[in-house]
This record gives sequence, structure tokens and C-alpha cells, in this order.
Amino acid sequence: MSPQLTLQSPLQLPPSEVQSYLEQLWSNDQPGSTGANTFCLLVWQPAWVEQQLVRTDQIAGPIIGVQRPELIQAARQAVIDVDMPHSTAPLDVTVAAALAQRKGTQHGEDLRGQHVDAAISALQPRRLITLAPTLDEVHELETLVAAYCPLPEEGGGTAACGDVVVLRGDHDALAKGLGILQPLLPAELPSWVWWNGSLDEAPDLLDQLAVPPRRLVIDTALGNPHRCLDLLQTRVKAGQAVNDLNWLRLRTWREHLAMVFDPPQRRNTLHHVVQLDIDVEGNHPVQGLLLAAWIADRLGWLPQSSKRAEGEGIAAEFKRPDGTTVQFRLMPVPMGQPSIHPGQIVGIRLICKPDSQPDHAVCVILCAESGGCMRLEAGGMASMELLEEVVPNQIASVEMDIARLLAGGHNTTTPLLAAAAPLAAKLLS
Amino acid sequence: MSATITNPLRVGLRQERVIAPQCLVIFGASGDLTHRKLVPALFELYKQRRLPSEFALLGCARRPWTDEVFRQKMADALGDKVNKNRLSWDQFAAGLFYEPVDLQKPEDLVKLGHRLEEIDRLRATRSNRTFYLSVSPKFYGSGCKALADAGLLKDPKRSRVVIEKPFGRDYGSAQALNRIVQSCGQENQIFRIDHYLGKETVQNILVMRFANTIFEPIWNRNYISSVQITAAETVGVEERANYYESSGALRDMVQNHLTQMLAITTMEPPGRFDPEAIRNEKAKVLLAARLADESEPWNCCIRGQYAPGGTKEAPLPGYRQEPGVDPISTTETYVAMKLFIDNWRWQGVPFYVRTGKRLAKRLSEVVLTFREAPVHLFDAAGGGPTANQLILRIQPDEGAEFHFEVKSPGSGMRSRPVEMEFSYDESFGEPSDEGYVRLLADAMLGDPTLFTRSDEVEAAWRLYTPLLELIEDSPWQLPIHPYESRTWGPAAADALLANDGLLWRRP
Repeated sequence: MSPQLTLQSPLQLPPSEVQSYLEQLWSNDQPGSTGANTFCLLVWQPAWVEQQLVRTDQIAGPIIGVQRPELIQAARQAVIDVDMPHSTAPLDVTVAAALAQRKGTQHGEDLRGQHVDAAISALQPRRLITLAPTLDEVHELETLVAAYCPLPEEGGGTAACGDVVVLRGDHDALAKGLGILQPLLPAELPSWVWWNGSLDEAPDLLDQLAVPPRRLVIDTALGNPHRCLDLLQTRVKAGQAVNDLNWLRLRTWREHLAMVFDPPQRRNTLHHVVQLDIDVEGNHPVQGLLLAAWIADRLGWLPQSSKRAEGEGIAAEFKRPDGTTVQFRLMPVPMGQPSIHPGQIVGIRLICKPDSQPDHAVCVILCAESGGCMRLEAGGMASMELLEEVVPNQIASVEMDIARLLAGGHNTTTPLLAAAAPLAAKLLS
Repeated sequence: MSATITNPLRVGLRQERVIAPQCLVIFGASGDLTHRKLVPALFELYKQRRLPSEFALLGCARRPWTDEVFRQKMADALGDKVNKNRLSWDQFAAGLFYEPVDLQKPEDLVKLGHRLEEIDRLRATRSNRTFYLSVSPKFYGSGCKALADAGLLKDPKRSRVVIEKPFGRDYGSAQALNRIVQSCGQENQIFRIDHYLGKETVQNILVMRFANTIFEPIWNRNYISSVQITAAETVGVEERANYYESSGALRDMVQNHLTQMLAITTMEPPGRFDPEAIRNEKAKVLLAARLADESEPWNCCIRGQYAPGGTKEAPLPGYRQEPGVDPISTTETYVAMKLFIDNWRWQGVPFYVRTGKRLAKRLSEVVLTFREAPVHLFDAAGGGPTANQLILRIQPDEGAEFHFEVKSPGSGMRSRPVEMEFSYDESFGEPSDEGYVRLLADAMLGDPTLFTRSDEVEAAWRLYTPLLELIEDSPWQLPIHPYESRTWGPAAADALLANDGLLWRRP
């Protein structure tokens, strides 16, 4: 499915007139109608790398805020052009910062907020509000509105209409513009806030946007790891529904690891883990820590200590319910062609040694399809029973993941993530 | 440390499809099925976080209950399931509502429409509605019509109707009912439920056949000599005498559950994994199926009825002694028959189908018996070599087993049969869901793959029409053979296979 544009050209209005315009729009259309009875989605959509690539003429506009293949390819090329380490994630804010040093004055049409991914538009959102910060140091607030009717798919069906609102401007302008948002969010509909950027930026805006009971969608792969985990666990603890795209991307790893221990003869082995090693791409440990925390939570391990290890890794110890110590090590591994998501898992190794049969040690290694596991395969594993599997790469786009969340969302955080978040934060501290 | 029962890493890991926000409306909410199957299944879905937060269940029946009464009745019925999960239940129960509705009264439907709009606002259920007709079969047609007349089915993307079995009493009534329900909405809005299709093991037949390369090449008349499909129950008619007297085993079990097992076992591979592609293949194979002797059906069908049995200490009454049953009833509680499928894959392969109450064991299975090796090179420990068999165990002890010959230990070269076994319980780190859990989720997802389409239902009724007509017109030609309770049915059923030199499997 390709992204869909709004059918109507957006109308630029003074911020103070947005609410009355939208109310009028619906009541003129059909008395008493307020559009689709679905949900509202607020998106923080900086698209810094895309804006910089358009400005420096390395990619043609318009700016749409979707992670399309040509954008990723241009960003990878930019990493090389600006002499950054090849292991830099192509959409990282550091890439945008490096590009900012380059000259360029190209202006692409800015369609952020008007270019709706088909997976999301199929859900017929009631209102899509996009906050689109611009590169300009000074950019007065622009407010755009448009009615939006997703075309019904084959087979008919009633197209429930919604509208899009775009707030565009510099940081201060957007901060000022937030005042118009609250009346635009009907209290009876669930609202989601998708922070589609680094968790380091604009914390004041994030705090104002992501107020409970709004459901928050973040990506803990974007931003300072401490800040990411701190925000995650604080919000979860406060009872807000938090969805972490970085956690969602762990699902194939969790599924494959569980599959290894599905056969009943292997299930008992899980109680004899003595060592856990996780390799991640680059220097962002959060996904690896969340995976370790999930395993620890499921197996009842308690964290004992944690420290920075040689080579920028993290070394920690857990205590199993039977008192035995489990060594944990998370290691960053440089990758030539890194994922667009920083800190993706490259491999995981679990070593299990039953106390009663120390000669019957089992070594489980799961390897990412895109990476190598040579580091994990080395180190005297030959004497153990080796169970090795390849984990396929995540293929769902960010927009597909968001659509899945929106389609059947919950007003609470999934208990597994809620349990893993504080543990992961403890491992990092 | 002792072995764990479940895999701790498996908990909460299902990658299920996401059910959209919606309101499930159950008509007949004061009935048995609602508190015995439907609400427990929904609560299970809730506990597994497979229901969205924006979910509501609106119970409808004629009784003048309130929301609170309905919630309390459901909580009482679920008993321990609620007591052990009180917090979850309280959250789930907040989404339970009740509206007194008589489907025959248009003004009640108007009231229902308003209540649904109110629930949409209250629970943000986005006007997505699944209507579940858990009412007497005689109201299926009028119920659908009432919903359509009230405009509640006008959006095919957002509204659907689930209809319980039995769908008609014969070919003619099924056709008539189909005409009515199809006039109320599109075919893809109609979900005719057959809870056997909700069983993991029935669905697994599709996966075994079409996700492996080793089975499909031998899944045909060249390698398979016969197929047996059994659904055996140990219980009697219990409290269902009223319904069962007018139904019997043929209508109650064979036309739907066993025929669906037959269709899934024998269908051609679908072009893609798509509801319509799968249902096309099922309908096609049912159209090719026929009774082994259509002109003289008594040659290929045996009817039976359970007689008293048990022991002196624990006697079991016969069917005619059960409360609510006519003392001279000729309703069959057992039926066995032989079918053929006239297509390239199955021509000449006999399919033996049997079902009964008060049989020796509770089990459902499909048994594929393969042709014998063309030449016997080895002595067999059991006298003669045993034919290879693939047994798909539907319930209980869900799984599959393969019987094949191996060398018997010792200096000679004697063969003997052994079993290779796969068990769902042992192989996976979590128990399978109840059929209703899967089917309710699928209906709310709008996925009709595991529901029967109009042409399938009609083809299934047409298949048994000669028998139904015979029972109606000249029942003496299909006499009722009594069998002792907790045995494997009447001797005449054994003779049906003995004529072909075969035996029913005694699992």
C-alpha cells in the first residue's frame, strides 16, 4: 500500500480559528456529524535527516516524514560523505547535525502530516495532528487543516471521514501552538501521541503532549539510552499506556528464543542458565537491555550488580531463584551496514549448565540474519551441546507497527514491557 | 528441579492479529451458550490482551435484566475463573452491558441501535459490531432480517453476523435460510460457526498438508487405501433431549463437524492462504463427495441408538430411558457411513465416517491408512505387515502419530509396527485455546476462513439428502441398531467395514 494524500488541499488558518473551522466543517457536512468515531493521533514529526537531505539537494522533495527507501539510501550515502563512522545509523540525529554544517538552500514542499501512510489511513483516524518542526531558526507558526476521507477499499464500506491538522514552525512557535490542541481532542475518543523522533529533543513539548490518559508511542532506540529508559519506566510507573517500538522490534527474538525451549526436554534447561551474552549494533544498548530484562523477569532473576565493561559493553550479574549467579554481558558490535534503528540485536548466547550434570552444558546461540555471530560462537563452546538458529530481520515498517498499535490498542502498558523497563534501567545505571 | 509445565518465555508471546475496537452483541445472552462458552472465551481473550481496551459486550435477550444483573450472572457462572482473576474480571466486566431485546419487535431494534450508539461513545468502539445469534435456529432468518431492517448491517466492513449451528434441517431449508441471510448483507458478513473448525488440530491438518513437502505427494488414491473419520462421545444426550430428538447424530454431528473434517482432509491445495480460496476448495471437494451407494443408501449407512449399559453399581440408562426422550424414539445416537469422492485425487478411496454418543471413548480423529507394500520381503512379527497409518488426533490428547514397520530386534529380519508421535501438549510451551476463543476472535477480526460459506453448507446437506429422505420416507430401510452403552457401537457398523475387509480403528 502506498501512502495517501489528503483529497483536499490544506487550508492555512490562524491558529485561533482552527477549532471553529473544523466544527463548522462537520456540521455543514451533516448536522450533528463529528466525523469518524475512532481515535486521534498526535505525531511529533521532525524528519530532521529528510529535511537536511532536501535542503542540501541530496534527495528531491517533498518532505513527507515517511522512512521510504530512497531516503534511507540517501542518508546512508550522507554518512559516508560527511565522514561519519560507517556504523552510524542513517537516520540518527547526528547525521542531521553533520548535514546541517553543509551548504544548501533547496526548498522542498513540506507535506508532513498530509501524507498519511495507507496502513494508518485504513483505520480511519478521526483526527491526525502533526507537529512539524522546521529547520529555520525563526519560523512563525503555520496552521493547516484539511478534511480527509480515506478511499474505501474494494468491497465498499462507509468511508468515515476525519481531518488533518498540521502545526508547522520553529520550536517556540510550536510550543505556543500547543494551546490549541486540547479542544481539538474529543474526550470520548482515545488519543495517541507518537513521538517520532529522538527522546532527547524538545522534552518540554513531549511533556505537554504526552499527558495521560493519552497513549504514548516512543522508540527507545532514539535518544540517550539513560533518558530513553528513564522516560519509559517513569511513564509506565505512572500508569500511562506506553508502547515502545524498540520493544516491538524484539518480538522475533523473543519468539525464537521461546521456540528453542518449547520442547519439554529443553524446558528445564532454562533454570540452569549461567551466562547470557547479547551483542548489539553500535553503541545503543537499550534493546539489548530490554531483552535481557525480559529474560530475567521471566526466569525470576534478580539484578545484583552492573558496570561498564571493557569495549563500551555492560557487564552485570543476576541471581537465579536458586541462588546461583548468572553472568550477563552486553557488547556493542560495529556493523558496516547498520539498521535504521540504532542498537538492534545482532546475536544472543545463553549458556546453561545443570548443577547435577555439569558435563551436559547447553549453548544456545541466536544470530541475526543480517549479522554474524562469530564472537558468540568463539570461546570454548565445542564441549557443549550447541543449539544455533538464525533470526530473520524485522520486515514491518514503523508505520505498520504504529497501525497495529492503533488498530487494537490498549489503555495500559503490556505487562511484560512494564516488568522489563525498570530492570533494564537498573542494568544501565 | 522438576520439569516445568509451561515455557516461561512463551507467556504473553503470541503474535496474534489485532482485534479492532468493537461491540459484540450476543442475542440469547440469558442462554446456556453465553455463560458456558462465549463469555469465558471472551474473558480468556481479555486476559491474553487480545481484546482492545475499546471493547464492549452487549448481552441481549427478552429477560428484563440490567447491566449489573448481567455482570453478576456472568460472574456467578464463571465462578473460580473470576475469583482467581478478580482485578481482570472487574476491568473486563466494566465493558459488559445488557439490553432487553425481542428480535421480533422492531421498536426493540430501534432501541438497540440507540444503545449501540451510546456504547460507541462510552467505549469508543468505532461503530464496529459483531452480532452473535445464539438463539433458537428458528429465529436465525428473522433475526438477520430484523438487524438488516434496523440498518444495523448496512456497513459490510463494520458489521457482521455470527450464526450458530444447525444451519437448516436439510438441503431445502438451508437454501431458504441462506437466501434470507444473504438478502440481509453480503456473504462476507455472515459467519456460520462450526466450533470444530476452531480446534487447533483441525487447522493443523491444513498446515501439515500444505506447509510440508512430504505429505502432499502421497495424499491421494495412489498411496492411501482408506480413510476413517471418527467423532466419539462417552456422554449421553444429557439435557439436550428436546433438541436431539428432532436432530439425531446425522444432523447434530455428521452434516457439520465430520463433514468439515472430511473437507479439510480431502480438499485440494488453495492457490493462496485466503478465506475465499480455502472455502472454494472445501466447497469443491464436497460437491464431488457422495454416499457410497446413493440409490440404495441402506447399503452404506448404519444407524444406532445406545441401549442401557454400565455396571450394576453404575448403570447407564439407554437413550429411550433418558428424561425427555420418547420411549419408542427412533432417533439415531450413532451413525456410520461410507462415502466416496469422485475426483482425480480420491476416486475409489472409501471414506468411513462415524459418530456416536455413549461410545467406549471420547475422541475425534482422522485415520489415513496407506496401501500395503507391493511385495512382502520380510516376515512380520504380527503375522502380516501392518499398513502404514497416519492418525490425526483432533481431541483429546491432540496431536498426530504415524505407524510404520521397522526391523524387530534380533538376528532375523522380521518387521513389526511402531509409532512415531507428536503431541501438542508436549511440544508447545502453552496449552491450546478452546475452539470458541479462536472463532470469536476470528469473527471479530472479520476473518471468515474458519467459518462455513453458504455453498459449503448446502453441499454438505446435499451430500446427505438421500439418507435424510430415506429416514423421512421409509425409516424401516435404515433401522435403528441398539448398542450397549460405552461400547464401540452396533455390530452392523463393524460389518460395514468387514465387507471391505477392514476394521474400525479401536484407539
